[in-house]
Amino acid sequence: MPKVEINGVSQVFWSQSGAVQALAETSLSIDEGEFVCIVGPSGCGKSTLLNLVAGLAKPDTGHVIANGKPVTGPGPDRVVMFQESGLFPWLNVLQNVMFGLKMAGVPEPERRERAEKLLHMVHLSRFTQAWVHELSGGMKQRVALARALAPNPDILLMDEPFAALDAQTRDMLHDELEDLWASTRKTIIFVTHNVREAVRLGTRVIVMTARPGRVKSIYDIDLPRPRHIEDVGLVKIAATIRDDLRGEVLQATHEEGID
Amino acid sequence: MNNVAHQAPSAALTAIAQTKARKDRLDRWRIYAMRLAFFASLIGLWHALVWLEVWDEMIFPSLPQVTETLWLGMSDQSLPAAIAISMQRLLIGYGLALCIGIPLGLLLGRVRWLNETVGMLAMGLQALPSICWLPLAVLWFGLGESAMIFVVVMGALMALTLATRDGVKNMPPLYMRAAHVLGASGWRLYVHVMLPATLPAVLTGAKLGWSFAWRSLMAAELLLVGVGLGSLLERGRELHDMSLVVAVMVVIMFVGLMTDRWLFSRLEQRFVHRRWGTSA
Ligand SMILES: Nc1ncnc2c1ncn2[C@@H]1O[C@H](COP(=O)(O)OP(=O)(O)OP(=O)(O)O)[C@@H](O)[C@H]1O
Ligand SMILES: [Mg+2]
Repeated sequence: MPKVEINGVSQVFWSQSGAVQALAETSLSIDEGEFVCIVGPSGCGKSTLLNLVAGLAKPDTGHVIANGKPVTGPGPDRVVMFQESGLFPWLNVLQNVMFGLKMAGVPEPERRERAEKLLHMVHLSRFTQAWVHELSGGMKQRVALARALAPNPDILLMDEPFAALDAQTRDMLHDELEDLWASTRKTIIFVTHNVREAVRLGTRVIVMTARPGRVKSIYDIDLPRPRHIEDVGLVKIAATIRDDLRGEVLQATHEEGID
Repeated sequence: MNNVAHQAPSAALTAIAQTKARKDRLDRWRIYAMRLAFFASLIGLWHALVWLEVWDEMIFPSLPQVTETLWLGMSDQSLPAAIAISMQRLLIGYGLALCIGIPLGLLLGRVRWLNETVGMLAMGLQALPSICWLPLAVLWFGLGESAMIFVVVMGALMALTLATRDGVKNMPPLYMRAAHVLGASGWRLYVHVMLPATLPAVLTGAKLGWSFAWRSLMAAELLLVGVGLGSLLERGRELHDMSLVVAVMVVIMFVGLMTDRWLFSRLEQRFVHRRWGTSA
């Protein structure tokens, strides 16, 4: 049984400029322990798709099944990590990481211990008492990662979590995420617009079409791990996927009247 | 992983940081000195105006007169008693307004149909100076404490409710999404997310509400005979005792300043500026 089953989901938005179909009927099946990376032109509905899996929105058609149960709302088995960390400024780093555990009713000593362990894993033990505004962008995303992992979800949904980071920090976080995935075998759905990042991390890379998005092609990535973002084989595969994507990006920009 | 931040800063760096801290301290003293000089010149100006006899002593009391009145009021207990009774009304009324206004504001920000109905009413009521309620309040509650407290509540409530509601409306939606994903729902969303996230707006509303509460109370005390700072003002008017009037005004300003410095500024420093990284 697949871990996540996306069955013909689609979504329409209504805005001042009229109806916008954000996502065409999309189906995708993801097995336990997979690391699926989704790439696609801007505005093709990647975030929309992730929100549907997270249960933050309801699809207009179709349905999502996670862990064998239809998704009707957010659940502790699926945690999202957002592009802007979404950390709570009124809580310090440790309290942010403990938030999900507090909501789950985990008693104080245990949630503190688990949060401290996670912060240690993302190398932020020294900053447990810091306020969010005192952190750099990369540190924020590491805290956000720890916060997402705290409730121990078996499905991790990541929406361009490293897009705003510099290359070095991103490389480092790739290593950390790969280690984490290898040791816990969580199922990860990772959205990015960076094709190399997708090939660097994923067991599969899904290319989506321009809006309204749906699955265009699927690439299985069998490169050995640990990978490095500049590996020749990796770069080559990324180039193929980028060519595949280019047509869609052109179409997307054309539609928006950029060219 | 190597992280520079994991190492303790060197002696040289510590020295630089200490210099910065020293400069901050110096700046603080400079501000104190400036403040002192400002108020000293204000008093100087007052003295000069009295000395030049620009106005009659009857309508423009001198500093020594006011100080004497303050001293007399303090020693015969009339001033502390008036402060105590006004404060009591204020705290009860303001406390009630806090207990009603903040939850109501959170609900209005979140529940659309409530905002379209009750929110609109609150907007309308905000335009109404709360002292307008006094005739009705006297009919409903009689000439007494309850009527005054009611006027205080109505004075502070709308500002608090609307500021809280706007805080919720302006809250970044990402916080709510993150909270949902992390398993917050129902009342926990209100207590653990919406309230702390809107705390900056709530505190602004609380400050505004506090000053509205004072205004309403003074108006009510001026109109209803009894004990209290407002009544003391009214007595000063009846007896043509302008130094009493000015003394009461000074007391009211002093209490206002102190609550701002000792209560609101501290709360803001602790729960807003330090956490959001906004400047004090
Ligand atoms: N709440 C909304 N109201 C109206 N339109 C929306 C809303 N959310 C998304 N859209 C539209 O739906 C389309 C898909 O949006 P989505 O955020 O899923 O794109 P994306 O693939 O994540 O893009 P990006 O890579 O730029 O993040 C866009 O055209 C966007 O304008
Ligand atoms: Mg997106």
